[in-house]
Amino acid sequence: MNFNVALRLPIISVVLLGLTACETVPGNAFQLSETALETRSIQTREYSSLDDTAILSASMAVLQDMGYVVDEVEPELGLLSASKRADATNKLEAFGTLSIDTMQCVFTLMLACTRRNYGEIDDVQDIRLTLISRPQVENRQNVAVRVTMQRVIWDKEGRLSEQETITDEQVYRSFFQKLSTAVFLEQARL
Amino acid sequence: MKRTGLQILVVFWLAGCVSQNAAITDGGSQVQVRQIQTREYDTLNKRDTLRSILATLQDLGFVIDNADYDFATITATKLQDYQIRMTVTVRERDSEMLAVRANARLNENLIDDPRAYQDFFAALDKAMFLTLHDVD
Repeated sequence: MNFNVALRLPIISVVLLGLTACETVPGNAFQLSETALETRSIQTREYSSLDDTAILSASMAVLQDMGYVVDEVEPELGLLSASKRADATNKLEAFGTLSIDTMQCVFTLMLACTRRNYGEIDDVQDIRLTLISRPQVENRQNVAVRVTMQRVIWDKEGRLSEQETITDEQVYRSFFQKLSTAVFLEQARL
Repeated sequence: MKRTGLQILVVFWLAGCVSQNAAITDGGSQVQVRQIQTREYDTLNKRDTLRSILATLQDLGFVIDNADYDFATITATKLQDYQIRMTVTVRERDSEMLAVRANARLNENLIDDPRAYQDFFAALDKAMFLTLHDVD
């Protein structure tokens, strides 16, 4: 009986491994989440002072102010995609892990000198965003601007640390503050 | 006997992983894949359909990589614990009818699960309804 179980276990685990090789789609990947409406309102602002193309120009200027590089523009669809690579290091964490690695090195009398802990902390992040300015069908003077952002974070050894959609409300609020100023400036110029 | 079975399983599993050149042109039955990836609409014009697709992709947490109005093509990426890349194209069937086709990849695999596409088109239906009634 025990022998049977001992044999069955590796077989089951191999079958499980085989199954993970053909990935299944995460159940909610293409479903609107329950918070979709809330997320949409966090990511959207409406402007009525400029048309959709002028808003795209204002957005482009804001993104350049923030150091983004524009990857894609399609004015016919009011679309702008941009990205930038930025620092993702937490100085305190960097100091802490370096200290641990150094202590390990000293305590093992130089036998185990690695940057293992330091190597696992976040190093840089690639941030990407899409901005879409969309005039309302009935009143084209009302333009809804929606931004979605995501990022990939790499650790000090160049390994993937995290990839995510950015949902922090504060990030979007701060973005739209800058955009609102730019829209105001653009309007004043016209 | 059992060990042989185990070895066979391991070999099959490894064969599934090793593709390289075969991966360049592999894929399922063309007609079947097209069917599950395509829906036809006769409600909105090309521009509003494309705009609805963009809105849907943003709702689902995608960031747009490329978009081209003339060729009616949009490519987008979603990053969670996984990575999904998808292309959505719009083709005019005739003056009234538009065909929207979506094809997606999850990490390094083609998504051929009809359920995923059903979910996507269900979300798109909602966005198109909102566009049509301008309650966005």
